[in-house]
Amino acid sequence: MKFAIALFSPAHSPASRRALRFAEAALAAGHEIVRLFLYQDGVHNASANIVTAQDELDLAGEWARFVRSHDLDGVVCIAAGLRRGVLDEQEAKRQSRPAANLLPVWELSGLGQLHEAAQQADRLVCFGGH
Amino acid sequence: MARSMLIITRQSPWSGPTAREALDIALAGGAFELPLGMLFLDDGVFQLTQAQQAAQLQQKDLTANLQALPMFGIDSLYAAKRSLSERGLDATKLSLLVEVLDDDALRTLINSYDHVITL
Amino acid sequence: MATLHMLSYSPFADSRLASCLRLLAADDALLLTGDAVYALQANTAQRQALELMPVSIALFALEEDLAARGLTAVPERLQAIDYAGFVELCCRYDRTNAWL
Repeated sequence: MKFAIALFSPAHSPASRRALRFAEAALAAGHEIVRLFLYQDGVHNASANIVTAQDELDLAGEWARFVRSHDLDGVVCIAAGLRRGVLDEQEAKRQSRPAANLLPVWELSGLGQLHEAAQQADRLVCFGGH
Repeated sequence: MARSMLIITRQSPWSGPTAREALDIALAGGAFELPLGMLFLDDGVFQLTQAQQAAQLQQKDLTANLQALPMFGIDSLYAAKRSLSERGLDATKLSLLVEVLDDDALRTLINSYDHVITL
Repeated sequence: MATLHMLSYSPFADSRLASCLRLLAADDALLLTGDAVYALQANTAQRQALELMPVSIALFALEEDLAARGLTAVPERLQAIDYAGFVELCCRYDRTNAWL
């Protein structure tokens, strides 16, 4: 099966870890993940600026490693990202902001990418809230 | 054949960006002429009341953007009958033309779409 | 054409469970994750509501969430699943609806 996975809550939410564990299990079962899409507060999972305590789970780091090691398509909604201060180099420059903080495995793009993924996927699974 | 998506919007316009971000998903899909439906459920029906004044809270007017939905080819708009009555709202006095559905009809509705996003 | 509904909020401070229960169709399934597993807490109206759902509606919970919360006295009809089971459920049902 082809899965599109969307995440709507930040790295410190239980839903983020749940989404990652789900994504790992999907690949382990031989399924394909057509895209990971970060929306609403989910954009924070793509931030390079999150610092977790030594004895706490670094979900943003884990997500980045997961996306990179499986060469997945990781997209962050640009409108949601801007609203929450998650910017790449191009946007930081364009908006005259002091820092770019998007982890390089992720790409800023529009909601069209969520729809494209939904069109390609057999299943769209959303994670968010608590 | 294009896969259809139902967007269930459950928040009032005044509780943060969720109502707008749900609408944005619908408008983005409409721009690509995808088969979409939008259901106003629970506090989401508060998006449909009249005489709202977004400027009072220095917010953009969601009502105007909701009214743009048919222009984007999205006219499958629904509201939950129970949500309206629980909140004392008159289904005949809404700011948007929606089909009001009871729980039975809503179950059928949800199960008629390929994908569902509930915000 | 059945739906796997997913909940993750505690039902004691939140209306998602109540809303979801009204919209479950006969062949749908309900998966409790995160604090939504507290709906299984014994001697609560929420637990009763789950037990009163038609038998045709399958009830699942993520076992890690049950274990984390020390919830051992769960209804017979409840099927505890792991992530492999979670993925399989998403394939089994035609669509998912997460009550974010």
